[in-house]
Amino acid sequence: MTRISLKVTGAQGQGVNSVGEMCAKGLKRAGYCVFGYREYMSLIKGGHSSYQLDVSSDAIESSETEVDILVCFNHHGLERNALEVKKGGVIIHQTPQWKYTKEQQKELDAGGVRTIYLPSEDILKKLKAKPMLGNVLITSVVWSILGRSADDLKELVREQFGHKGEKVLEMNFRCIEEGFGFVGEANFKMQHAELPKPNPGWKNHLLITGSQAMGLGLIHAGCRMYCGYPMTPSSPLLSFIAEMQNETGMVIKQAEDEITAAQMMSGAMHMGTRAATGTSGGGFDLMTETLSLNAIIENPSVFVLAQRPGPATGLPTWTGQGDLLLAIGSAHGEFARCVMAVSDAQDSFDLMPEAFNIAEKYQTPVIVMTDKQIAEALYTQSPYDQKKAKMDRGLLVTDPKALKKLKGTDRYDPLAKDGISQRWLPGSDAATYCAQGDEHSSDGSVDETAKNAVAQMDKRMKKMKAMEREMPEPTLMKIENGKLKIENSDVALDLLVVSWGSNKGVILDALKEGKERQKGQKVGYLHYTYLWPMKTERLKKLMAKAKKTVLVECNHGGQLGQVIQLSGGPTIVEKILKYDGRPFFADELRQQLFN
Amino acid sequence: MLIPLDSGTAKKMSAFHCANQCSWCDGCGDYGIWTAVKRSLVESGIAPHEVLLCYDVGCHGNTSDKLLGYRFHGLHGRVIPFAAGAKLANPKIPVLAFGGDGASFSEGVGHLVHGIRSNYPITFVLHNNGNYGLTTGQASSLTQQGQPMNSSPNGMPEHTLNSMDFVFSLEPTFVARAWSGDIAMMTRVLKAAIAHRGFAFVDILQACPTYNEFATHDMLLERCYDANAEGYKPDNAAKARALAMDTSKKIACGVLFQREDVPSFYERLEPRKALQTSAVEEVQIVNTQRWEKYFV
Repeated sequence: MTRISLKVTGAQGQGVNSVGEMCAKGLKRAGYCVFGYREYMSLIKGGHSSYQLDVSSDAIESSETEVDILVCFNHHGLERNALEVKKGGVIIHQTPQWKYTKEQQKELDAGGVRTIYLPSEDILKKLKAKPMLGNVLITSVVWSILGRSADDLKELVREQFGHKGEKVLEMNFRCIEEGFGFVGEANFKMQHAELPKPNPGWKNHLLITGSQAMGLGLIHAGCRMYCGYPMTPSSPLLSFIAEMQNETGMVIKQAEDEITAAQMMSGAMHMGTRAATGTSGGGFDLMTETLSLNAIIENPSVFVLAQRPGPATGLPTWTGQGDLLLAIGSAHGEFARCVMAVSDAQDSFDLMPEAFNIAEKYQTPVIVMTDKQIAEALYTQSPYDQKKAKMDRGLLVTDPKALKKLKGTDRYDPLAKDGISQRWLPGSDAATYCAQGDEHSSDGSVDETAKNAVAQMDKRMKKMKAMEREMPEPTLMKIENGKLKIENSDVALDLLVVSWGSNKGVILDALKEGKERQKGQKVGYLHYTYLWPMKTERLKKLMAKAKKTVLVECNHGGQLGQVIQLSGGPTIVEKILKYDGRPFFADELRQQLFN
Repeated sequence: MLIPLDSGTAKKMSAFHCANQCSWCDGCGDYGIWTAVKRSLVESGIAPHEVLLCYDVGCHGNTSDKLLGYRFHGLHGRVIPFAAGAKLANPKIPVLAFGGDGASFSEGVGHLVHGIRSNYPITFVLHNNGNYGLTTGQASSLTQQGQPMNSSPNGMPEHTLNSMDFVFSLEPTFVARAWSGDIAMMTRVLKAAIAHRGFAFVDILQACPTYNEFATHDMLLERCYDANAEGYKPDNAAKARALAMDTSKKIACGVLFQREDVPSFYERLEPRKALQTSAVEEVQIVNTQRWEKYFV
């Protein structure tokens, strides 16, 4: 498999994202699978940020540590990222009279890395173009180096800026021609990093971030209200779903704090719509009392927990998986909950109807975990299956005749099968009840007797048993002839990799590309989507047969491993853990898995 | 003062009757509020299954299982956002939220601020007994400064928050005051609040015979008067604020301020303007294919 990568660096606000996004769009349309990865700091202007695109004609969902083309808006990229360029790669920059340190120059020379100075300022001055057009100029240089046609790029630019009028467009086109001319004059050709032959199959795909995918998933699930409070990396979900409100008709509320967001979602769910809230670790801490409330009033509720490294403000714009134990153990008291994690743009969409179905079926909180990597990465995603999801509202009673038969004591009936009692909505012409935060009897009346306390706790915890029974086991994936295959039997493996969340993409890429290093070994990846209640049976069987099992996580404690142990599962001794705020990179993980 | 022994609503009020016995202290103001709430719902033509009553945590919260109706009893200080969320999901259902002065002016004061500011179309009833009753008489931010209380034997060091000055600073669209001994006035005020377009703030001064020795039933009986009956019109915010804040001699009750020309939060939601349905009625799998064009 051939993959090449391109990294754009600069200060925040300089246009790093717009160059990255335009290249991504053009490459996807040309028939490539693109994976976009952003790094940035917690500030608005300045700092050092980057947008990396990894490109292949095969499926990829990860980045590599090294790049073929580096574009530097300012000298910081030259200082910090120049040595990330592969042998035979190229660096394009616009810093006049730039000189590397002696050590840098030596290393770049040894790798045959070429550095090209693009005199953007002069070119723009000559064209009498505004400085903003520097983005288009740089894009055209990259575009030309990649061997793409100027017409493709013009088409993209027309789409993006066409509404600004022919004059603006004309100026953009002249910049593109200048860019192509510049590369032609430099007589420049990439030595090692030619794009592979395109695969037209990618052309109909979507370029979508995990947050956007989750937003579409929420809309798809029939979620009609979303309440949030800005906090990276959950904010892009709030922004996306808010931007969509005029088309979806959803009620969107940017609340005064996370407690409010969680309470409003809970009120809306209690009233009977589908509503969600989203936040990151610190905000989730504030929401947990409300989580506990939803457990005792048996209110279906959906919390999106977008992880970044803590404690406290931690690394606000970076990624991590340090909140799994938080999700599982959050909020006071003992109660049934479901914790699941998305892994990419596919299940960020697919799991949203699932989350609501589980919440409504078991009438309990569901926590959907994501992280900065998924939330902000750009995925090449096949159009979504609109028929797969089913609406399951559990024991929600809406039929007028059935409503008439209900007694208030049906609401929290401790004898209900699996502890799941009938639910009906305020406004229904039926007997009424109290959604009671105090321990209560079957109609929600406060009841502090010992007998009742046991009956109600048992009722609620029976739901946990039912969930344990009904939740799927983790999925075993194998790479066969370069293709991903779901393996349903418990095969004997030489290497079993176990992980969850955003690591899925990079693990699969590492396994795919590590073929030659695997030397005929049988390798499989066991992916956990459902994290609580935790299933360990399949893992136990696979581990017993596997020569080696490795746990991969982006946290310090190997939290998935801990949850597996807590649930009576086996201990995974060998661990690859990363907690520097960066995701795993494909080459890095390949190295760690196979060396 | 008029004491209505039979308002003619007794029969209908029995629809809200619940067999659970009240657990408040003898002489607690909650008895009167409890009755007035039921009566105001009946007189507003609202049946038990047509309303959502949301209770905060405190003595008043023990009303939650002492009457019928769809009820919710939540967390301390958090009742306003829950009630607002419920209302936005289904604006067709009247939603009333109840909270004490402890919850509403300390732990949950942010929610009160934003509830008024947002002008959610809900009624908020403040059970204002000037202390934390249920936790056995600690000072709230509305307790008189210097008054020795549980956990502040020398009186609380902080000055008392002027609740009405504070509320009026938030540009409310409805402010009323009543007191727990006057069921007829509470009923009138609550009915007006329920009918209000936006966020209705109803301050009910409530006797707490066990812990509040400064604002007793007798004191309230002596000082509270129906300002509307004396010709006061609630149409001027500055006058209303001055009237509400001055409790040195007499305490003005009734609807103190009201304006119906300000749209509620829900009415301001652009995407909802063309829709006749509520979010509760719209839950279904939505085909999102039409939006995939943004991602090609």
